[in-house]
Amino acid sequence: MKVAIFSPMPPERSGIADYAALLLPALQARCQVVTVRRGRKTPPRGTDLSVYHIGNNPDAHGWIVEALRRTPGLVVMHDFVLHHLVAGLTIGRRDGHGYLDAMEREGGVVGRLLGHAVLDKRIPPLWENRPEDFHLAGEVLGLATGLIVHSHYVRARARAAGYEGPIWVVPHPAFPVPDLAPATGVEGEPLFGSFGNVNASKRIPQLLEAFARVRQRHEASALLLVGATSPGFDLDRRLQRLGLDGAGLVREGYVDERRLWELMLAADVHVNLRSPTMGETSGTAIRALSLGRPLIVSDVGWFSELPDEVALRIPVDGDEAATIAAALELLATRPDVRRAMGEAARDLARRDHDLDRVADLYVSAFELASGGAAVGDAVLAAVSEAAAAVGIAPGSLEANELAARLAEVEPGG
Amino acid sequence: MRIAVVRPQVPFARGGVEIFTDALVEELRVRGHEAESVTVPFKWYPGTRVLSQAFLWRLLDLTEADGKRIDMVVATKFPSYLVRHSEKRVWLVHQFRQAYELDRTDLGQFGESPGDRAIRRQIQGLDRVGLGEATRLFATSQNVAGRLERSTGLAAEVMPHPAQQLAYRNDGHGDFVLSVNRLDRSKRVDLLLEAAAVEPTLKVVVAGDGPDRPRLVQLASDRGLAGRVRFAGRVPAEELADLYATCFATFYAPVDEDFGMGPYESFLSGKPVITATDAGGPLEVVRDGATGRVVEPEAAAVGAAAVWLRDHPEEAGLYGSAGNAIAAGVTWDMAIARLLS
Repeated sequence: MKVAIFSPMPPERSGIADYAALLLPALQARCQVVTVRRGRKTPPRGTDLSVYHIGNNPDAHGWIVEALRRTPGLVVMHDFVLHHLVAGLTIGRRDGHGYLDAMEREGGVVGRLLGHAVLDKRIPPLWENRPEDFHLAGEVLGLATGLIVHSHYVRARARAAGYEGPIWVVPHPAFPVPDLAPATGVEGEPLFGSFGNVNASKRIPQLLEAFARVRQRHEASALLLVGATSPGFDLDRRLQRLGLDGAGLVREGYVDERRLWELMLAADVHVNLRSPTMGETSGTAIRALSLGRPLIVSDVGWFSELPDEVALRIPVDGDEAATIAAALELLATRPDVRRAMGEAARDLARRDHDLDRVADLYVSAFELASGGAAVGDAVLAAVSEAAAAVGIAPGSLEANELAARLAEVEPGG
Repeated sequence: MRIAVVRPQVPFARGGVEIFTDALVEELRVRGHEAESVTVPFKWYPGTRVLSQAFLWRLLDLTEADGKRIDMVVATKFPSYLVRHSEKRVWLVHQFRQAYELDRTDLGQFGESPGDRAIRRQIQGLDRVGLGEATRLFATSQNVAGRLERSTGLAAEVMPHPAQQLAYRNDGHGDFVLSVNRLDRSKRVDLLLEAAAVEPTLKVVVAGDGPDRPRLVQLASDRGLAGRVRFAGRVPAEELADLYATCFATFYAPVDEDFGMGPYESFLSGKPVITATDAGGPLEVVRDGATGRVVEPEAAAVGAAAVWLRDHPEEAGLYGSAGNAIAAGVTWDMAIARLLS
């Protein structure tokens, strides 16, 4: 079987490019896989299955959506909310009508009117302040002959959006842990670390507030914030407003992969908060699992599916900062709990996120996506013929029972 | 309890699974249960037929029969374990092996077409569903349990099943090696025939029938084994017991066998077993120099092992006795108590 992969690849700087590069050799060991050059709109000749890695970034994924429009295929959905992608493909290309159509497809007349308001700049861009209300995944779902998703959460959202094709839940693969020493000069007892962009959706204000409370009792503790500050997010002003003097706060901006691992190794506890979620899986959280570090996460999306043994989950509600503080406090005072959670995290990474296992699941999905429809048709034909021969009418109770059981044995059912 | 023992049935074929499940039904009845065997004809080709057969099992309603509740189903083999029931016990004999370890081997069924690849994957998915629903999951051998865990992540308790009822006895150290098996390629009876070709004094009796018989008969003829190899065909129980009682050893070396009743039957007759290093399940009870001979799957090695056992009756007797102690410990009383608990 020849599989064509449409994906951003390194040196493009994106989590999905890293993901695809990590997975590619393992896939190539199992079947014939070719990567499609950026910008190309069609798969190479002889391709049995086209696979499209879709995320929310229009710069990285715009060309991939255009290729998907020409040749429907299996979509790896890294984000469920694609509003930013669709905005980039429409408004970003001076195609306001395209944006209005997308909004109408999902939100009806109200959606279209809101779209007009966005185009007229009467309301802030919806992809910035209400993306979860208008995911705009409809077109991609409509073109996908099958979906690979990383969480049951995204699977449920796709089904809720009316997607009826086969869906395979395939965990994010674990990154191999490089043989590096923890970063020096970043110390805390314990050292809490948050890795990724510094902004409101990563719940940094709530984290800072919680840390300030905990530090009153644990003066040796420190909070390491690693990642670029998002435009419009003024960290210093936040600290000032919270009455924090920045004591115990260690700041590093964007770092390269090697430095990221060193800093992650230095942190005793990894804090990985976010809301709203776009349905994404966090590459930094997966790294934390591989490193055997306990996690504090928001109780949303994929993060909600992390087992209790490895993650303390924080509801996104009015008590969020207090709950984060309680979680930090627990892990600051109980090194035994940190150790146990860390071991469970490492076990989970080995068990569920093992690269070979993930590649096997991918190839299984490839094979089902490539041949499943024809097989399903053949089985359906045999069953339909038998049903018709004994007088089972479409829509009858018996026919519904047959359909329900048939769905259980059909590929991707 | 009312218990339905379910299994697929290949019409006109009878093998280890049929013997096992018939015995299970009988033993359940002896213990006061209302037990019944439920079968559906099974045809596994062309590939899509496997899925429509699975569908048939999924469609069956075994919650009750004739207005009376069925308390439990016991399933044994693909696709019977796809049957739906709130108290489904699976005593797994084997999965549909063509979808697993036999894939892309001479014994495989599925080619490289997208359709064949998809069917194979779907069978694997069905196993996760059907076996995952079981309220208790047993495997007849460590080999079967290991395959299951590797392929689906499901853990099964290992519980061998007793051998069929025969008038087992040991009438002494005879002059032939016995093969009892369905004659198909995977059972590798040809290895024994080639061994006989290498060892000109070795005598062989082959009991059993199956699709590989014409090829095996031809092979025996080609190797000039007339007079030393006898094809006994499918033999009645009394004759089978006689053969076990009068051989000096048995040969049982299928490729990566699930479990195999052969060694247990041999041991109950006090006879050692010759098997191969890649035979799978039999290796759990056949140990080289203890209960038989374990050799490389090569004609010369099999032949040498057989001649050695023939020429060392004392050791052969000791091995057979040691095997007997293992087989005697596998009883229906223990197995059924565990199955129903």
